[in-house]
Amino acid sequence: MSTDAFVRVINIRKQLGDRVVLNDFSLELNKGEFVALLGRSGSGKTTILRLLAGLETPDAGEIWIAGSLVSKDGRNYVPPRLRGIGFVFQDLALWPHMTIHQSVDFVLAASSIPKLERGKRINDVLTTARIPDLGQRYPHQLSGGERQRAALARALAPAPRVLLLDEPMSSLDADLKSELVSELQTLHRTFALTTMYVTHDVAEISRLADRAIQMSSGVLPPR
Amino acid sequence: MTLFGVVCLLPAVYMLVESFVASDGTLTLVNYTRLLSEARQRELLLNTITLGVAASAIASAIGIPLGFLLARLKLPIVALLRIGLLVPLAIPPYVLALVWAFATDYSAVTYSLTGGAIVLGIGFFPLSMLASEAGFRGIDASLEQAGLVIATPRRVFFSITLPLVWPFVSAAGLLVFALSVAEFGVPGLLRIRVFTTEVFTAFAALYDFGRATALAVPLLVITLIAAMIARWIAGERLLATSAGWRPAVWCPHTVLKAAVILWVLAVIAVVTAVPIAVLIANAKHVIANIILSWSAIRTSIVLSTLGATCIVMVGVVLGYGRGRMRSRAHILADLFLIAAFAVPSTVMGVGMIGLWNRPAIPIELYASRLAILMAYMARFLPVAVLIIAASVRQTPRALEEAAEISGAPWARTFARIVIPQIRPSIVGAWIAVFIFTFGELGTTLLVTPPGESTLPVRVYTLIANSHEGEIATLALLQVVATVIPICIFVLGFGRVKDA
Repeated sequence: MSTDAFVRVINIRKQLGDRVVLNDFSLELNKGEFVALLGRSGSGKTTILRLLAGLETPDAGEIWIAGSLVSKDGRNYVPPRLRGIGFVFQDLALWPHMTIHQSVDFVLAASSIPKLERGKRINDVLTTARIPDLGQRYPHQLSGGERQRAALARALAPAPRVLLLDEPMSSLDADLKSELVSELQTLHRTFALTTMYVTHDVAEISRLADRAIQMSSGVLPPR
Repeated sequence: MTLFGVVCLLPAVYMLVESFVASDGTLTLVNYTRLLSEARQRELLLNTITLGVAASAIASAIGIPLGFLLARLKLPIVALLRIGLLVPLAIPPYVLALVWAFATDYSAVTYSLTGGAIVLGIGFFPLSMLASEAGFRGIDASLEQAGLVIATPRRVFFSITLPLVWPFVSAAGLLVFALSVAEFGVPGLLRIRVFTTEVFTAFAALYDFGRATALAVPLLVITLIAAMIARWIAGERLLATSAGWRPAVWCPHTVLKAAVILWVLAVIAVVTAVPIAVLIANAKHVIANIILSWSAIRTSIVLSTLGATCIVMVGVVLGYGRGRMRSRAHILADLFLIAAFAVPSTVMGVGMIGLWNRPAIPIELYASRLAILMAYMARFLPVAVLIIAASVRQTPRALEEAAEISGAPWARTFARIVIPQIRPSIVGAWIAVFIFTFGELGTTLLVTPPGESTLPVRVYTLIANSHEGEIATLALLQVVATVIPICIFVLGFGRVKDA
């Protein structure tokens, strides 16, 4: 296993309840690489993203991000907020009591960005996500595609080192999905973000990913 | 709906109208000028609002942290802890006031606003706890996790969790305020001068109907405003929770977890075990006292059983109608339901007497047990409707549509499809109404016909001139009679669920 990789997941084991979701699982991501994770439901795709984000703790094994040990053997050494992660959840998890502007402002404020600078950053990120005029809307006032873009804007706002996307387009129709895949491609090229993308859709992978990993029952098959 | 309007709303409307009518039938403001010119009215207003605010603050301070723990702590004994914490809701507030009087030995603190607020806070905190639990449980875990990847847990709690829970917590706080302001038994027993006790005194002791109606109006306004704001804040969440969420879990380390469990057990001991222990310690000659009051006990059991059954039968129909409302009329329906529930017991009692005690009414309503049943219906039909409507809203309409498509008539669909789906809520509504009716004091005290008595009325009338051993025995019986149906419900439905 290379020590130069930007993200390293080494011999991870994770049990949820009675079920071993990941067993001796290892993975590497290079800086700026776009990796897609494929697999059946329950194969542990989402668990890997949650372990990388620090929302779960590995029972055994190590996780390294940008040369720092963040988790090891049942302990998280670096809390989620200090890992430099942007996360787009499967259900998007947009805060229903905040406008999109307020949501993005919340994450920027949490990153200690001064108030004066935040206004410009919010406009920039909403423009990047192609929703420049929707900042004052609440999530329930947006269409499916707009909500998707809003979730992406929130994840990109604090300029994360790693972007994790958990089946973010599973609920969209084919046309909208195709449009958003193109936009995601452009964003990835622009920011050269190290990205991990969980999906069931092989067509999305062929357009987006540098590399695809097929998962089966939590064990990575030999390449 | 007509039945609901006539039984539940008309007495309050009648009180409002009568407050502007003089004894000769002309329109007048004399009742109000009398009220406004008296300095003691300002004291009454201050006492009433202070009691409501303090009780609401105490209930929230106990209920919100408990709601959080019940929603987030993953423990096999959570259901058991919840039952222990719900017991105060089953104890009529006037019984808690009696316990308070026994425990504080009839000292100065017994008969104080502080005492009243503590008793009402303990009696109503389960409402705040249940609402907070629903709020914390209803937040999808990913909403907080989306914050945790960028912000500290403290910041996430204050910026995301708390604003999302706020509608539940504040609505419960307002509901506790409205119930405390409308409560008669506690201030009546603890001799606290508030509007409910003054309405009772004006009508039952001074025979001043005009004064009683005018005193009822500010009370009605305060409780209705609080209830309306609660509806406005909580909106449809009063009746429905969101589907498809994943609950968040709080996993503290072992020492903190043990401390938290010990704290919850201590709360259960204080709010459940202590009141029961105080009553047991004070109860004397149990069998003899039960025999002495057997008539009142029997009347209470019969009327509460009959009342709960009638109320739930009407409630199923009205609850279904409310649950399936699609138009904006549902907001109006909720307002009426909440307004009817918020009408204080003594206001309802005086309104019922004024409205139904007249020669033109063919049935001798006022002189029969039917008056007590009507009082129960007037006060607690909205509770049954709201509980059943909440359940109807959780049942997919597609289930009924599938029956309709297959050619089943509406009545058959209702009986075979709807009722089985909402059966737990029907049983739950029956038990809730039984508990409320079994402990009802304010309205019953006014409308009970001569020679009749329910258990709460018997206890209340004995307080002034009887030994506390007899009172404690009857209060204990009251608690036992209300706790038994809860245990049957929990054990019965628990087994069904397990099977």
